[in-house]
Amino acid sequence: MTQEAQGTSGTGTETGAGTIPEPDTEVSTVSADETAAVAAAIVATALPAEVPTDRGPKISAGWSTGLRWFVALLAGLILFGAFVLANGADPIQVYADIWTSTLTQSGQFQQIILRAAPIALAGLAVVVPARAGLVNVGGEGQLIIGGIGAAAAALWLTPLMSPWVVVIAMMLFAMVAGALWAGIAAAMRLVVKVNEAVTTMLLNYVALYTMLFLILGPWKDPKALGQSTSVELNDAAKLPVIAGTQIHIGVIIAVVAAFAVWFALTRTTWGFRLSVVGGNGEAARRAGMPVVTLILTALLLGGALAGLAGFVQFAGMEYKLRPTFGLTIGYVAFLASWLSRHKPLPLLLASVVLAAIAVSGNSLQINSGLPAASVNILMGLLLVAVLGWTSPRKATS
Amino acid sequence: MTSDAVARAESRVGKPTALLEVRSLTKRFGEVLANSDVDLTVMPGTVHGLIGENGAGKSTLLKMIYGVYTPDEGRMFVDGNLVAPGNPADARGLGIGMVFQDLRLVPALTVAENIALALPDGPTLKLRALSAKIEAASKEFGLAVDPTAKVRHLSIGERQRAEILKVLMTGARLVILDEPTSVLAPQEVEALLTVVASLRDQGLGIVLVTHKLNEVRAIADQVTVLRGGQAVLTSADPNDFSDEELVEAMVGRRVPPLSRVRQPVPASERAVLELQGATALGDRGYVALKGVDLEVHPGELVGVAGVAGSGQKELCEVALGLRPVSAGSVRVGDSPASGLGPSEAIAAGAVAIPEDPVADAVVPGLSVLEHMVLDGREVPRRGFGIDWQAVDARTTALDERVGLRMAPKKRTLASLSGGNIQRVLLTRELGQDATLVVAAYPSRGLDVANTRRTQEVLLEHRARGAAVLMVSEDLDELISVADRIAVMHDGHLVGVIETAGADRMSIGRLMLGGVA
Amino acid sequence: MIIDLLAGAVRGGTSIMYAGLGETISERAGIINLGTEGSMLLGALGGYAVTAHTGNPWLGVLGGAMAGALLSLVHAVLVVSRGANQFASGLTLYFLALGVTALFGVDYVSRQINSFTPYAVPGLSDIPGLGPILFDHDPLVYIAFVAAPIIWWVLFRTRVGLLVRTAGERSEALGVNGYSIKAVRYWSTVAGGALAGIGGAHISIAYANSWFENMIAGRGFIAVALVIFAMWNPLRIMAGAYLFGIALSLASVLQTAGYAVNQFALAAVPFVLTLVVLAVLGKRTMLAAPDELSKVFDNSRTA
Repeated sequence: MTQEAQGTSGTGTETGAGTIPEPDTEVSTVSADETAAVAAAIVATALPAEVPTDRGPKISAGWSTGLRWFVALLAGLILFGAFVLANGADPIQVYADIWTSTLTQSGQFQQIILRAAPIALAGLAVVVPARAGLVNVGGEGQLIIGGIGAAAAALWLTPLMSPWVVVIAMMLFAMVAGALWAGIAAAMRLVVKVNEAVTTMLLNYVALYTMLFLILGPWKDPKALGQSTSVELNDAAKLPVIAGTQIHIGVIIAVVAAFAVWFALTRTTWGFRLSVVGGNGEAARRAGMPVVTLILTALLLGGALAGLAGFVQFAGMEYKLRPTFGLTIGYVAFLASWLSRHKPLPLLLASVVLAAIAVSGNSLQINSGLPAASVNILMGLLLVAVLGWTSPRKATS
Repeated sequence: MTSDAVARAESRVGKPTALLEVRSLTKRFGEVLANSDVDLTVMPGTVHGLIGENGAGKSTLLKMIYGVYTPDEGRMFVDGNLVAPGNPADARGLGIGMVFQDLRLVPALTVAENIALALPDGPTLKLRALSAKIEAASKEFGLAVDPTAKVRHLSIGERQRAEILKVLMTGARLVILDEPTSVLAPQEVEALLTVVASLRDQGLGIVLVTHKLNEVRAIADQVTVLRGGQAVLTSADPNDFSDEELVEAMVGRRVPPLSRVRQPVPASERAVLELQGATALGDRGYVALKGVDLEVHPGELVGVAGVAGSGQKELCEVALGLRPVSAGSVRVGDSPASGLGPSEAIAAGAVAIPEDPVADAVVPGLSVLEHMVLDGREVPRRGFGIDWQAVDARTTALDERVGLRMAPKKRTLASLSGGNIQRVLLTRELGQDATLVVAAYPSRGLDVANTRRTQEVLLEHRARGAAVLMVSEDLDELISVADRIAVMHDGHLVGVIETAGADRMSIGRLMLGGVA
Repeated sequence: MIIDLLAGAVRGGTSIMYAGLGETISERAGIINLGTEGSMLLGALGGYAVTAHTGNPWLGVLGGAMAGALLSLVHAVLVVSRGANQFASGLTLYFLALGVTALFGVDYVSRQINSFTPYAVPGLSDIPGLGPILFDHDPLVYIAFVAAPIIWWVLFRTRVGLLVRTAGERSEALGVNGYSIKAVRYWSTVAGGALAGIGGAHISIAYANSWFENMIAGRGFIAVALVIFAMWNPLRIMAGAYLFGIALSLASVLQTAGYAVNQFALAAVPFVLTLVVLAVLGKRTMLAAPDELSKVFDNSRTA
């Protein structure tokens, strides 16, 4: 059990020290369960029981992981087909519809990209805290609060300032609002030690009801027919569109943000420190790192990114707050982050894939008469498959 | 086996069959021979002392007896019948009970609930009836325990009594106590030994694992000494041996591997590390470091010896600002008198080899290179980030300077063995020009050549004028490298011995709580 | 009006109580399940659908329990057997449940069912004040009265409960005594999901008497938070659930009384209340958390 390990380590043989030698035991992907058990029993220093998600040994990477991903995705598609069938629709027809409606029409493709932008931004709001070992499920609420921030800036500043200033102010308001919203959860984590997953989830509902309160009350557009909404954003303050397309610059913001986060996480000292905190908080403490500050900044930045998503959604897509503003974007973004194992650039791809599924939900409703939310099943199943069957970690006993 | 003990057993129980007889047990882990040809006999109504240093093979032997491990060779008899327990439940069925050192009680549950867990009796707990039963058993065996108390609220000694009671109530006739006294206060030890004596008088067989000679003297009818996986003495009568002989059997006599000329320490210089009455709580909340006064001067290597868990870990952590002192003071270099934190200790020039590298220093997903900057010191910057090229170059230089041949820099720590992890940390920490080196078990997991190299590096630090504090379980190692050896026992610093002219025996006696 | 409010609290708090009791069992065994919200959704639709097809609301309750249990079984597989992150798994399952109930729920959106009707307990319901508050409700409310004490009794006075608690406190003690840690956690999680399913069914077949998309509206998440400050104790869950019932019924009571209060400001009250209570009591109650559960909560150490 120890020899093969030394073969791969290539750093010479060691037998041990002290009165009884401590076998040089390799813990990696190769060790069989019983080997691991024996090793655990005799190696005094407990060895890491699980390999972290995104930096596992290269041995297990490669195409066996690829195969597992493929099988996981296929299983998700088949199961969704079964659900559709159970509901009396023809799954093959549904898939064909999804295919033609999402990928063969150029307008649809632009729709997908437009949908993907806020998903990617809100996904980054999960990615950054995850690097520090935190679970932010509050993207949904932070996005809505960001939208409220943007709407507030629009409402208050449009009469006073030029549209460009309003756009910048909307962006800043949105990001600050999102960061403060996440800051509530960060404070509760650090001060009263309540887990951030629970608090961010509750804050989602508070954010939603705050928005509903505003658009039904003080911010209600008196001219709105039917559904209550806030006043529509002035045309001049809407995000500009790339000539000849429907693509607004929010898409560019999302891509830039993803690269910026990638840079911050992988190329800056701060990002490196975050991954140390997420990997082993005690090691970070012993290396003299400011663990509390790191956790706080990770959650605040996450909230700011989700707020930015709210800004893009408000100034680029919806132009007004309505009861369905940003609906489920935060949750889809959570799935996207986990699908991409919290890596910013693959997240862009995952966001596009999930956006495509979301867009196909609309055609599903039109073509097959199935509710648009049905595609949530497909997204959920994908992540179930990925969580359960592509994770390199083993079950803890 | 002495006639004396047999006679006593026979007269008391009238049954000469051994409760447990172990013949030629051998257990290998890979190439490591953890137990080699070990014999052990426990008669009813006797206490059998099992002694040996850490890593001598005691726990392997116990785990074979308790069915956790299957022996590679050898046989076991219970009441004269050949048995082969495949798991702890089998062993319990045979009447073998084990009281683990770390105890297996659930802290949040009451004593009665813990006992109910081990004593299946119907779908409801019937706690009142059970409590009555516990109280009866508690009287019968002389183990005072409140069945309604939560284990969390009990002292270590009380927990131990509860665990022993649990083992007895599940019908054990042979009770194995794995280093029960190592966590106890002296008065508690006395109480425990009284209980053990009364259990013996009721005809039970007891295996008492210990480091402490006086306990063997006080209670054991027979003694087995393990060293390096082999039984040096087997079921012997302790009265046939002097203390010196038993200590020698335990620790052996070996030639110190490293001889050198010791430069005298300039006594006038101000100490780099100074502890005054340092007192600190351990992780489990009891006082683990008790009023320690210690100075380590520049150009001095002080070794720390002691039985495992005597406060060495806490001593190191206090010295590094990782554990606050509850009383007394600690100073590293010019660190402020008001509270020493990890950053302050690092700023004062301390480097550290942690006692538990995997738990305290390893980020499994990061590479060897990335671990090189986790030392709390200035990191070479480039733009917003870390200049990894500079780190790489620095690392190469460190690796050459320290000479422990680290694993490739790109490997993640999750993929490295314990020995390779240790070499990464040693290279990072010992490669620097520190003013204070705090090294806990620096040669853990290393082979002979790397162990020797590590010792040389520590001595180089000393020669350079650094103060070095080194914890080791290996007395030979300490004697060969240290100027002075500080001996810890039960959280106290019980003596500081000049290594020149020191002998293992006197250190051993101090470690075991005796007088040098 | 006070009587209306309190009677509404008892009715509205019932679903949260079932879910909270379920989550208590699962967290006592060391598994936190954010999918409680999803189990309630499935329970609401399952209960509604079965009632619609059979005409028997009691079978509906059974169907709701099974639907909720099924979802938590997936959670158990992912978390216990596959070692997945508990929060990620729970939220994913919530999302999955959103989709499943949207897909299968369309057929039931405006369908009438033979729902539970209030049953005034003869005699008791005539007590002034107390009668209408406590004894003029649907049967699931009455069952909830005894469910909390029964679950308390099971957790603290039976062997099964002892095993559940040990799984959350120090699971290795189960292995030492010959029990399977996995089995205990599977059963606890599934039982928790079943109770959440009953809670959901209560909403659709007794409280709202209708089915619509996402009708649970966060009650499941409140239940998860409630478990924390109820300190994993079923009896405190009962008290806490009725407290939230008051917050929930505030809106309708004020509206019927003719007050012009923004309904959404009131809808936020239970969530704000939860957060405030957590902020005030969190530090103290987290100390009461089962040891192994605290490790899940403390996924990255801060000190």
